[in-house]
Amino acid sequence: MPDLDIRNVEMRFGGFCALSDVSLSVSSGKFITLLGPSGCGKTTLLNIIAGFLHPTQGSVLINGKGVTSLRPENRDTAMCFQSYALFPHLNVHDNVAFGPRQKRVARAETQSRVSTLLSQMGLDLHSTKLPNALSGGQQQRVALARALAVEPGLVLFDEPLSNLDAKLRDQVRSEIRSLQRELGFTAVYVTHDQAEALAMSDEVFLLNGGRIVQSGKPRDIYFKPKTRFVADFIGAANLHSGPINSGAMTTPFGPLSVDSPNLSMSTVCWRPESAALGGPLSGVVSSAAFQGSYLDVFLTKDGETIRLQISGDQHLEVGQTVSFGVPRDRVVIIEDTDTGQANA
Amino acid sequence: MMSLPRLNTILATCLITTLVLWIVIPFAMALMWSMVDPGTSWSYPDILPPALSFERWRIMWETSSLKTAMFNSYSLAPVAGMIAIILGAPTAYAFGRLTFPGKGIAQILMLTPIVLPGFVTAVFFASILVSLGFHSRYFAILLGHVVLFMPYAVRILSVSFSQVNNEVVNAARDLGASPFGVFRAAYWPAIKPGLFAAYLIVFILSIEEFALAFVIGSPTFTTVPTILYSYLGYDFIRPNAAVVAIVLVVPNVLLLIVLERLMQSANPANVSGKG
Repeated sequence: MPDLDIRNVEMRFGGFCALSDVSLSVSSGKFITLLGPSGCGKTTLLNIIAGFLHPTQGSVLINGKGVTSLRPENRDTAMCFQSYALFPHLNVHDNVAFGPRQKRVARAETQSRVSTLLSQMGLDLHSTKLPNALSGGQQQRVALARALAVEPGLVLFDEPLSNLDAKLRDQVRSEIRSLQRELGFTAVYVTHDQAEALAMSDEVFLLNGGRIVQSGKPRDIYFKPKTRFVADFIGAANLHSGPINSGAMTTPFGPLSVDSPNLSMSTVCWRPESAALGGPLSGVVSSAAFQGSYLDVFLTKDGETIRLQISGDQHLEVGQTVSFGVPRDRVVIIEDTDTGQANA
Repeated sequence: MMSLPRLNTILATCLITTLVLWIVIPFAMALMWSMVDPGTSWSYPDILPPALSFERWRIMWETSSLKTAMFNSYSLAPVAGMIAIILGAPTAYAFGRLTFPGKGIAQILMLTPIVLPGFVTAVFFASILVSLGFHSRYFAILLGHVVLFMPYAVRILSVSFSQVNNEVVNAARDLGASPFGVFRAAYWPAIKPGLFAAYLIVFILSIEEFALAFVIGSPTFTTVPTILYSYLGYDFIRPNAAVVAIVLVVPNVLLLIVLERLMQSANPANVSGKG
């Protein structure tokens, strides 16, 4: 299975710079996610990998071989499109067989690939149906089967789950991931859904304004955001700014312990679920929403609001003063240079 | 409030009444007039002709230039349709799928032949063709029809081309299809209905076109409409006009039925591919 290397890619559309100086590498058999708000350039990058777009600068290497100017039909990639892009006039079987037929794979081989994939996807019974007779989830599976039928080394996913309802999304998500593990292809997955990115990926590349702002394992991205944008975009985050004196920052809610002795102006961030009741901090409950497994609480003090997610069996009243604490190792110092919303 | 089934009934009745008034009655009248027996006249207060015969049809067939007119019309229309589509397709592709400076103006210019009165175009077109040395009236009218009706084909086809799903095109390429493979998988299914519709429109417009055929063709070159108008004008002979009118409408109806069949055997699948 191939690895993918993207070196200093820049993409301009007229005066608009969709991607600037993007570099990333994916080792063979890994599942990576390009995550970001709409307009961040993630789909552009995917189209460059597939060969539908040619970067204005930089290069794309698959298995160490430069493919920057290679046409999509000559690349070892296959794409799963957001709208599925099934051929509406071909039935399920012929849709899946399309790739092997175009690549002049032997008839028997094509046949065996198609029937294997269709049974893997649970589509055997639908092989003679036209795409528009299928549900969204089934169409999604046909699209995946069609992409896999050319036995690509690199599968590109362009927000493949965005047209499915929430429950189906979770199901297809885990199906995609287990197929990827089973067949061993390298996967590049584009999404704007941070939950999807965290759940599926070996590595997440977070893009904003045409640049990679942070990359790493899902856990690192979540618990150690480097910037305000990352902290905000991935999950909910509470942010405080101020000087740190002898390991604590003074906030309206009280002193917050930080794992750093002295810093002049800095910004720190912690996750709502890191807080626990009882501690040196306190605030007034402005709203508390019961969410089943957890209680979503907003606390205010001196005009600032923070969010806490505590165990669902707790009961808090609006107007009540609550004391809480945040473990020191869950408070992260972030760079606060970007405005975060530049291209969101 | 009126119940929905009742409203449906009323609307359906209105529609059927209109269709009968608009299509069935005129067509039945034309059919009856064409079959009025020359020996017994059909006049007030008879609601139906007293005697029916194919005598008028025989007379028209044997004595008038209907045969040549039919050959001319019936061969002009399909060829004009074909040429208009072949010549219009590249422009339609550009309008439907590309962006270029001046596209809006080009699209408006393309439609101007449609708004000009037929006779205005005909008179000047005739003189241009003569000065270009076009002496075959058949080819002059053919060229005229192609030029006059290509805008319709371009208009319809550019909508079809704009409906070709980019992601489906990309999917075909991504799976290794050759340019022809991409055309067959992504373009053809999306533009086929438009192709049929454009062909039908140009065919019908060409078969019914009078002004250009009259200005360029008269007096020696006849088409079905020029004969028809001759029976409606100075010497008005209603039964003869009825015969020609039916001759005029038959190929249109046949083509409509054939294309309708083709469309049904073609795939009902929509082009969007969304679920």
